[in-house]
Amino acid sequence: MAFDLEVNGNAYSVEADPQTPLLWVIRDQLGLTGTKFSCGIAQCGACTVHLDGLPFRSCRVPASVAVGKSVTTIEGLSLAGDHPIQIAWKEFDVPQCGYCQSGMIMSSLALLKKTPDPTDAEIDAEITNICRCSTYHRVREAIHRAAELMKA
Amino acid sequence: MSKLKLDKNQKDNVAIDRREFLAIAGAATGALVLGFWVPQKRANAAENSGATWYEEPEVPELNAWVVIEPDDTVIVRIAQTELGQGVWTSNAMMVCEELQCDWSKVRPQYASVNRDVRESAPEWTLNVMGDGAFDPIGGGEPLFRGREPVRGIPDSLYRRMRTNEASSVRDGRYYLQLAGAEIRERLLLAAAALWSVPTAELTAKDSVIKHEESGRSTTFGKITHLAAETPHPNPETIGIKPPNEWTLMGTEQKNIDVPAKVTGQVVYGIDVRLPGMKWAALRACPVYGGDVKSYDFDTIRDLPGVNSAVQLPIPDPSLLRGRQFSGAVAVIADHWYQAKTALDEMPVEWDIPSENATANTADMHRKLVSLLNESGSIQVDEGDVETAILGASQTVEAEYSTPYLPRARMEPGNATVLVTDERVDVWIGDQSPQETRRSASVITGIPEEGVYIHLCHLGGGFGRNGNGPQAEQAIMIANANRGTPIHLLWTREEDFVGTTYRAMGVARLRAGLDADGWPVSLEVRTGMQDDGFGPTSSFATASRYYAPNYRFSNHTTNFHIPCGTRRGVGQAAHEFYRETFIDELARAAGKDPYLYRRELITRTNLPHRDDMIRALDLVAEMSGWGTPLPAGTARAIALEEKGAEASGTATISAMVHTVSVSQEGLVRLERVDVALDQGFSLINPLSVKKQIEGQIIWFYNDAMHQANTVLEGRIVENNFDRFSISQIKEDPPEINIQFFKTGHWMRGMGHDRATSVQSGISDAIFQITGKRFRDLPFSKHDLSWG
Repeated sequence: MAFDLEVNGNAYSVEADPQTPLLWVIRDQLGLTGTKFSCGIAQCGACTVHLDGLPFRSCRVPASVAVGKSVTTIEGLSLAGDHPIQIAWKEFDVPQCGYCQSGMIMSSLALLKKTPDPTDAEIDAEITNICRCSTYHRVREAIHRAAELMKA
Repeated sequence: MSKLKLDKNQKDNVAIDRREFLAIAGAATGALVLGFWVPQKRANAAENSGATWYEEPEVPELNAWVVIEPDDTVIVRIAQTELGQGVWTSNAMMVCEELQCDWSKVRPQYASVNRDVRESAPEWTLNVMGDGAFDPIGGGEPLFRGREPVRGIPDSLYRRMRTNEASSVRDGRYYLQLAGAEIRERLLLAAAALWSVPTAELTAKDSVIKHEESGRSTTFGKITHLAAETPHPNPETIGIKPPNEWTLMGTEQKNIDVPAKVTGQVVYGIDVRLPGMKWAALRACPVYGGDVKSYDFDTIRDLPGVNSAVQLPIPDPSLLRGRQFSGAVAVIADHWYQAKTALDEMPVEWDIPSENATANTADMHRKLVSLLNESGSIQVDEGDVETAILGASQTVEAEYSTPYLPRARMEPGNATVLVTDERVDVWIGDQSPQETRRSASVITGIPEEGVYIHLCHLGGGFGRNGNGPQAEQAIMIANANRGTPIHLLWTREEDFVGTTYRAMGVARLRAGLDADGWPVSLEVRTGMQDDGFGPTSSFATASRYYAPNYRFSNHTTNFHIPCGTRRGVGQAAHEFYRETFIDELARAAGKDPYLYRRELITRTNLPHRDDMIRALDLVAEMSGWGTPLPAGTARAIALEEKGAEASGTATISAMVHTVSVSQEGLVRLERVDVALDQGFSLINPLSVKKQIEGQIIWFYNDAMHQANTVLEGRIVENNFDRFSISQIKEDPPEINIQFFKTGHWMRGMGHDRATSVQSGISDAIFQITGKRFRDLPFSKHDLSWG
C-alpha cells in the first residue's frame, strides 16, 4: 500500500508494506544509503535516525510509525559536512571504517539537543551505539567539541 | 553512447562515460541504462573523498598508479582496500611524498582489479632496493611469499592487492614511493625538454616546477600530457627518499575519506545500486559442512516482491583456501527485506554430517587439553628442560585457554554481481580481490580477463578471510540469473555463519625457577585446530624471556569450524599466555613484574633486545610505575612484539594498563600507557594512534566479553545481543601514546598491538581480588572481592 513520509524536509510517497522497517524504506526505496544496517535487532545503533528530533533504531521501527512525523537521516544534516557535529567529527578525524558513524552522529546529535553540554557520565549513559573499530575515544572528544560549536 | 543517463530517483548521481561501465552496459541484456549510485563527481578533489571505483582517465595516465589532470588534481590508484586502517591516506602519502604534488589536490581511487590480470608490473618495481630491514635508505623488507597469484605476491600490475597482515605499508612502500618518483622524474624531463634546460636546474614542489635561473614555472597539470609521452630512460636508476628527507610521510594527516564518512556519502558494498538489480537473502546450513536437503519455494512463491529461489552447493574449498563452509539457499526479490522475510517463512531442511552435528565447545576444549599431554610437534628444544626443572627451587605451571572469536565487522557480508556471457562484474568490499577474481572465473567459466571487480570501502575488516564466501555465493546466484544484477546481503546472523573464526586455543606453560626466582627452564605447549593461524607465534624460534632450557611444542587436531586470520592472528592468544605467565612467575619470585621482564630480556641475545628494553623503560616511566594507587586499582605491564626474535622487520611495544575492579566485580580499564617502536619512521602517525586506540578496545573486548561457543555443531552467539561488543562507557578515560625511533623498518601496525590488555586485566584482577583467571573472557567469572 502507499503512504506518505517526510524525510529530511522532503515529502515522499512510498509503496510498501507499512510493517517494513523504516530502515529498509529509507535505504532501498528512498535511496538514502547513509543510514546503515548491521544487526537488525536494535542493538548496535548503526541505523539510528531521528523521528521528530528523537533518536530511533530504524531497523525495528515499522515505517508506518514514521507517518506524520518528521524523519531526519544523516543526509539531512549537511551533505557538505558543515553541520557543527560534522565539523567536530572531522576535527578529531573520528571515523575509521566509518560504517557506524552515521548512527553514532545521529545519536550524539540527539544527546546534544537534549543536553547541550553533556558530562562524560551523560555521554556514557546515552551513547549506546556500537563501533567495532572502537573510535569511542575520539567520539567522546568530538561530542564535547560539537557542544562548544553548537553553543557558539 | 557518449553519456549514460541518470536514474531519475538518484539526482546526486552523475553520468559516467568510462570504458569499464560502458562495457557493462553493452554486455547486459536489453537496453540497460546505468545510473550508478556513486559519489558526486569531483568539483574539486576535496569534495570527492569517498570511495570511488577505477575510472578510465580523461587524460593519459602517467603510470599505473597516477593520473594528473590539467587542473592539477592528482588521482592516486589504491590497490588495497580501505577498511578503517587509513590505507587510502597512507598509500597516497607514499606516492605523493616522492611526486612532490599539492596534497590538497589528491584524490584516491581504487585500482582496477581487471587491469591487474591483463598487465604485468613494470620491471622497475620488482626489485626491492637497499639492504633489508636495517637500511634506512632502502626499501625495507617485504614479506612476499613467492610470486604466484593466490598465496604469494604475483608480478601482475598491482602485485599485492590484498589487505592483510598489517602489511600495506611494509610490502608496498618501496614501489609506491618509486611510482611517485618515476612520475616526478618524467615531469622534470618533460619540463626540461620544453625549456631546453638541464633537468638538474629544475625543482618540483607542491605541483609546481620551477627553473630558478630563468624564472620560468609551470604546473604538473599543464605538462601532464608531455610527461605522459616522456618515458624515463632508466627507471631502474631512480632511488627513493630515506626518512630524513620525508616532508609528507611521517606527518599526521587526517584521513582523506573522513569528510565523506561524516555525511553518509561513502559507498560501501551494501550501498551499491544498479538498475534492474534484484536482492538476495541467503541461509546457509548453520552447521559447517552441512548442505540443503530440501526447501519449499512454493510456500513463499506468491509473497510480495518474491522472484525465485536458488540452491547453492557448498562453496568449493579450493576457492576459499581449503575452508569448508555450508550449502545454502537464496531467495531473490525486488527488495532485500522482502527476500529476507520470505526466506524466514520458507521451510528448509539440512543434510548435516553426523560427526559435525554433535560437536560442542566443551568437548572440543577437552580434546585440546588432552592433546597437551601428548608429545606434539616440537618446534624448539634448547638445553634439557626435563633435567633442568628437577634442580629448580620451585615449579610454576599454568593452563590457559582462549575461545573461538569472529571478526564481527559492522557491515554484514554482501556483494553485487552481474554475470553475462562475456564478463562478470562484482561490486564488493574485499580484502583479497585477486582471489575473488579467480573465484568469479572458476564459477562462471569466464576468463579472469573478463572479470571486473569494483572495490568498495569495507565496513570493518579485521582479517582478510573473514569475508568468507560472500563473493562466491553472490557469483553463484548471479551466474544462475545471467543478465540480472544480484545484490546478496547476509543478515547479521548469517554473517556469523559466513565468517571464519580465530581458532580456540589452549596452552600449558611450566617453568622451574632458581633460588632467586629466575627461570632455569621453560616449557610451552600450545594447542589449537590444524588449520588455525599463527600456531607458533610469540614462542617460535626462541623464548622472548630468557630461560637457559626452553622447549616449545604445538599440538593440533581437526575441528569443523573454518578458521582464518582474525586481527592479531595467533599472536593475540599467545601473548596472553606468555605475558600472563611471566606475571605469574614474577609473583612467584616475589619480584616487580616490570623489572622481572626487563632482566629476562636483558639476559637474551635477541636482535631487537635493546628496543624491547627501551619500550619497557619508557612505558614504566610514562605510567608512573610503582607510584601509589587507590584501593581497588592496580597496574600491569606487558611486552608486545612481532618479529623481535629474528633479524628483520619488527614491531615492538610495551603497555601499562591501570585497571580498577569494584567490590561488586565491575572491571574498568582506567588508563593505558603505550610506548611504541616507530622504526625509522611511521607513515601517518595519526592513523597509528587511531589504530592503537581501536586495538586497545578490540583486545579489551577479547579479554572481557567475547567468545563464540559451539553447540550441536553450530555457533551459538550469532548477533550482538549474545555476542557482546563494548560501548563508549567502557572506553578507557586516559590513553597516552609515545613513539620512539629505532634502527629498523616496522613490521606493521594494523592488528597486533594492545594484545596486552588481556594479560593486564588478568594480573590487575589478581592483584585486587587475589583470584587468577586463565581463561577468556573474564566477564564469565565472579570478580567481586572484599
